[in-house]
Amino acid sequence: MKLHARVNGSPFVAEVPATSSLLEVLRGAGLTGTKEGCRIGVCGVCTVLVDDRPVSSCLYLAGCASEADIWTVEGMAERAPSVVDAFVECEGMQCGICTPGQIVAVASMGPDVRDENGVRRYLSGNLCRCTGYGTIVDAALDAQARRRGEVAPT
Amino acid sequence: MTDPPSGEAAFLVPGTVEAAVEALGAAGAVAVAGGTSIGLLVGQGLLAPSVLVWLGRIPELSVLEEGDGQMSIGATTTLATLAAHPRVRTAVPALADAAASVGNTRVRAVATIGGALGHADPRQDLPPALLALDARVEVAGGRGRRHLAIDELIDGFMSTDLGPDEVITAVRVPLVDGRRSCYLRFTPGSADDYPTVAVAATAEVADGVPTAVRLAIGGAGPAAYLVPEAEQVEGAPEGRWAAEVAEVAEAAARRADPVDDRLGSAAYKRRMVAVWARRALERCLGADGVQP
Repeated sequence: MKLHARVNGSPFVAEVPATSSLLEVLRGAGLTGTKEGCRIGVCGVCTVLVDDRPVSSCLYLAGCASEADIWTVEGMAERAPSVVDAFVECEGMQCGICTPGQIVAVASMGPDVRDENGVRRYLSGNLCRCTGYGTIVDAALDAQARRRGEVAPT
Repeated sequence: MTDPPSGEAAFLVPGTVEAAVEALGAAGAVAVAGGTSIGLLVGQGLLAPSVLVWLGRIPELSVLEEGDGQMSIGATTTLATLAAHPRVRTAVPALADAAASVGNTRVRAVATIGGALGHADPRQDLPPALLALDARVEVAGGRGRRHLAIDELIDGFMSTDLGPDEVITAVRVPLVDGRRSCYLRFTPGSADDYPTVAVAATAEVADGVPTAVRLAIGGAGPAAYLVPEAEQVEGAPEGRWAAEVAEVAEAAARRADPVDDRLGSAAYKRRMVAVWARRALERCLGADGVQP
């Protein structure tokens, strides 16, 4: 099938099997910031936004992205600069494999996620093997505060 | 749309229920909503559909509205929407809590109520909650529309009464004044895992006296099941339910038909059904001091 969508704000057209995953499509197009992890929707490293919703791109059928507005980690500096800044400031990463998914997941948080419990619950499906989550939670709380205008942009 | 290369699935995006039903008439056609289960099955090579019929662009299926004493929930309503919906949370908290319990943030963002029922995995959170709430499912097919109870729709292990050209269009949940409901799941592993057992209870409580008590169990058999013995609790005076609740919990365990798997042995699951059925009934009746 011919997939028509927008990726990181630009028109995107690709000839893909309808049953391919959005992850395969994106990485095949050179957008390798999105990682492949468990391939069963559990680990979160392949998180991308589809029409503002966080999805596991490894499970997401390419066809279901037809006409969608897709954002990957490559677009986060434009789409969610405060989240990227927060991860840098708080050093919310270690080896970096889960980081693209963490950043995209935090970028999808609504304003209702305000405290540590809310952040931990929201991000409970984005696994990290290095940090123990402390700095990631710090980065998410910082990003939410920045979006509320409570932290001066750096 | 041009025919895909041989061996490759066609992807159809119908704009109406009628067009979806027609598309599903093709051999090897599979309906897709959020795609979290279909994507998993296809990705693992367990399913090779010749036609994928995506329901994500049918306006009728995403309607969520209240009227005629019920909440009408379009089949492609996402679990995240259900979990956050103010009226669902207050009127039928068992449904909101069940929806909020499924998988992780990314699953709930796209997985749908219709997909959860059509997939009919016995470990799922929604079927016991909807069964206890006495929900009915509207189904459209080549012969028109029909309505089924949850345990009529899901008739066995990952099996439904749906014909190949039928699609779930809506789930209707009765709204009853004074009805309380709660959903509890026992998940000893990680929070995103399937429950080992899941229990939903509903009751109307007036002047401390319960009526219309319903109890449904998931994860402990080929499909979610009702425990008709729950009516034994009805009419018991306030605070004097303990013996009846204990009997009903044991009845729930006797009706279980669990299997050994990584979520627990069959014997363990059967015991957990009794424990969690008791807790759900106590919570629903207010006996544990926590409002459902």
